[in-house]
Amino acid sequence: MSRERVETGILQVLHGAGLLFFLFLVAFPFYWMIVASLKPLILLAVNPLDLWLSPGELTLRAYKEVWFQFQFGRYFTNSMYVSAFTVLLTVTLATLAAYTIARLRFRGRIFLSRSILIIYMFPAIVIAVPMYALYTKFGLRNDLHGLVLIYLAQTLPVAIYMLHSYFKTLPPDLEEAALIDGCSRLGVIWRVTVPLSLPAMATVALYTFMIAWNEFLFAFLFLDSPSKFTLSRGIVQIADNINVSQQLLMAAAVIATVPIIGLFLALERHLVRGLTAGGVKA
Amino acid sequence: MAEIRLENVTKKFGENTAVDSVNLTARDTEFLVLVGPSGCGKTTTLRMIAGLEEVTEGEIYIGSRKINDVPPKDRDVAMVFQNYALYPHMNVYRNMAFGLTLRKLPRSEIDLRVKEVAKLLKIEELLWRKPRELSGGQQQRVAMGRAIGRKPKVFLFDEPLSNLDAKLRVQMRGELARLHEQLETTIVYVTHDQVEAMTLADRIAVMDKGIIMQVGSPMEVYNNPKNLFVAGFIGSPTMNFVEAQVTSENGRLFVQSKDFKLGIPVAFHDRFLKARDREVVFGIRPEHLYDAQMRGRFPGGEKIKVNIEVVEPIGSAVILIASCASAHLTACVDPQSSARPRMAMEWFVDMNRMHLFDKTTGEAY
Repeated sequence: MSRERVETGILQVLHGAGLLFFLFLVAFPFYWMIVASLKPLILLAVNPLDLWLSPGELTLRAYKEVWFQFQFGRYFTNSMYVSAFTVLLTVTLATLAAYTIARLRFRGRIFLSRSILIIYMFPAIVIAVPMYALYTKFGLRNDLHGLVLIYLAQTLPVAIYMLHSYFKTLPPDLEEAALIDGCSRLGVIWRVTVPLSLPAMATVALYTFMIAWNEFLFAFLFLDSPSKFTLSRGIVQIADNINVSQQLLMAAAVIATVPIIGLFLALERHLVRGLTAGGVKA
Repeated sequence: MAEIRLENVTKKFGENTAVDSVNLTARDTEFLVLVGPSGCGKTTTLRMIAGLEEVTEGEIYIGSRKINDVPPKDRDVAMVFQNYALYPHMNVYRNMAFGLTLRKLPRSEIDLRVKEVAKLLKIEELLWRKPRELSGGQQQRVAMGRAIGRKPKVFLFDEPLSNLDAKLRVQMRGELARLHEQLETTIVYVTHDQVEAMTLADRIAVMDKGIIMQVGSPMEVYNNPKNLFVAGFIGSPTMNFVEAQVTSENGRLFVQSKDFKLGIPVAFHDRFLKARDREVVFGIRPEHLYDAQMRGRFPGGEKIKVNIEVVEPIGSAVILIASCASAHLTACVDPQSSARPRMAMEWFVDMNRMHLFDKTTGEAY
């Protein structure tokens, strides 16, 4: 065997080993979470380290209990409502804003585009207390829409930034052609820019959804009544409860994780396309 | 059917003046070509007509309507872009139907027009393909088809052939000329390629630094350039320029340079008299210089002595680059010429085709 082949072989083995290692790191907790949530409570108590799950032992009891008795159905709906609403608003507003800074010439454009990310200079915890006071005053506390508003403020800057960079890669000629062909500015955005930006918008939607879905700090601060809880807030609620088994907690965690994974898998094709789209001459 | 009229049109980008009080008319059904080097303001002028750039000062009319503040979609113009600007997410059919759909034409009418234009441009079999599945030449046709289908008052072309390879460019040039015959619509066409300008245009407008240097038919601009810039820009290879003086001896005028003294034909005396004793630039096109050994091709006349430096055969002719004492000259001579590098030879100068320009202003005499 030539030296080069030996070297390639070693590299391939290392490459595979590395991948396996990280796959294990990522997948193992997830696997454990699913196993623990599906196993009968007794078996879990007898040997918590037994990671094997035989089909005969499967039980959905924990899910039913979490979903109905512990109101996770409600939390799930709340989380879905807040996240979807945030995504809708973020994508709509970010598209318009990003288009404006990417394409239109107006006074203060450069300042505006650069100042968008300034909001990230303030950590969430710093603004949490003033926001609490403000929300109390305006009656937005304990209101899911108040949460949407604050998530919007969190996701919009990055969303604008991402879409802005993407819009700049689109050839302006396309939009000008559409202007001449008979579109208004909004028509151009709707008929040309948006269809061509679907990969970028899918990325933004996914990112926004994840932020809104996973957010805990403000949900914890602002939501008082359990009927308004989101999933992250709900999990803390049962984690604090000493009477709740690990099995229930794991089932709750699965319920909180699955939508994100599902969404990611559904949009993955778009994401990959978005990364390679620039390679083709328009 | 419409005339386009620009009156004192100026465009400024911040401090920079891209287009400087341009007055220009494209007559009804005329093929007007705006030509000039890159950055001369020709594309900006076209974009102002399209409505893609705001006019800083002046007025633009299409027909009798002032269109300064009319949005592009309401100007009834169609534009073909340099990179074609086909919508990548639509197939050819939808690309061509797009503008018609927006104008709310009945579907049957749209279908009729798209198919008619596709037939005219021989792209019928491409209708269901996406732009990325087409070659450059096919994309070019679709872009033209999209414009033609709209049946606009005015066509605007922004360097439409510059992304094609040389052979295809010549072919498309021919088709463009043929299309113009058929469509009988006003066309404003921007290019930096003076051959394209010469072959396509009814009239050429030569621009430089935002200013219209000369407007005229291709032969007018070629034969009687108004200034040094136009003389140097139109024609290939470029016109030769030699710094000289106009002198008079015994009632005859001469062009006198460090390298040669050439008699000015008597017929031109009136025209060039005011250049007497002035510093001028003498201009002669390469195709008006002849290899003196090739008898019979040119009746004779004034001769200059040169040393050949480079010989470039292009098939139909030979391009010779030679030096005199102080200047370099290019000649485009008969391919039978025996010129070889480092050879000393004589050239006839067709003084009937000479040009004189003022050295300071660059204006032609």
